[in-house]
Amino acid sequence: MKRIMLLIVIMMTLQQFVNAQTKYFTKNGKITFFSKASLENIEALNKSVTAVLDTKSGNIQFAVLMKGFEFEKALMQEHFNENYLESHKYPKAIFKGEVLNNSSIDYAKNGTYKAKVKGTLTIHGESQPVETEGNIVVNGNQLKTDANFTVALADYKITIPKIVKNNIAKVVSIQVACLLEPLQ
Amino acid sequence: MKKKKIIILSIIILALSGGLYAYMEFNRKVKDLSRVRADVKFKSGELIQEFEKDEKAANALYLDKIISVQGQLKAIEKDLANNYSLVLGDAASMSSVRCSMDADHQDDIQHLKEGVYVSVKGACTGFNADELLGSDVILNRCVIQD
Repeated sequence: MKRIMLLIVIMMTLQQFVNAQTKYFTKNGKITFFSKASLENIEALNKSVTAVLDTKSGNIQFAVLMKGFEFEKALMQEHFNENYLESHKYPKAIFKGEVLNNSSIDYAKNGTYKAKVKGTLTIHGESQPVETEGNIVVNGNQLKTDANFTVALADYKITIPKIVKNNIAKVVSIQVACLLEPLQ
Repeated sequence: MKKKKIIILSIIILALSGGLYAYMEFNRKVKDLSRVRADVKFKSGELIQEFEKDEKAANALYLDKIISVQGQLKAIEKDLANNYSLVLGDAASMSSVRCSMDADHQDDIQHLKEGVYVSVKGACTGFNADELLGSDVILNRCVIQD
């Protein structure tokens, strides 16, 4: 009886250990967006992206605070927050999705793996499906992830006034790069 | 004749200064926070409490505000591009104030060690509540205060 109890305890401890090892996260992820228009190019960087990946289920989640995007020019940053994204009303953008080919990624073996990701992106209070392909680089107990995709401003009801329509692209490219570490 | 000249001259001066203002406004950079006075001061625990109590109300009060926060340095983190973040708060708590250092002030933290008390000034960008990861108030473009 004692042995069985001991076995159960050991198994439960192991189970917990395994569970703890399946989730990876960062709070210092990066999202860059790039708008290429005839009059000017606009680039902004956010360095405080939260990301969690569950390697067991393939569930992946990103959260970013809109006010944290940094622009080269102050005016751009003000217009972005006040007029276009209305960051005071919608302070956060969130992506919730899954790695579709999760079973083909060996998180225990170093290497670069292609990852197909599909999910829902919420910006400016509007949710839209997003699908893209990115990379997961397994390096010891760290996962380096990156992905690119595009976002059409109209899909998220972000309206750009006519007067600056030559300064801002209708479709902007988004770049995500995170270094994930095991959640203890 | 003299009157006409004065009028033309003042129109030119007006147009020039208007143009200069527009040019400077267009190229204006985001202010370095070491030269900006803080709007409000907090201990790290107090600031976290403000957001945990009512995120919406705290957002309305503090988003974009320059906040000076004092607290114990739980961790110094470095990202892929060598940008530093300071994590402030009670070591026993999951919640923190996360201060992403200004790109021009990365060297400010060289003398800092985990466990010391620091005073940091930054622009508040909001709150990330997460049961799994712990909740954080985020400050951006941070500088160390003396």
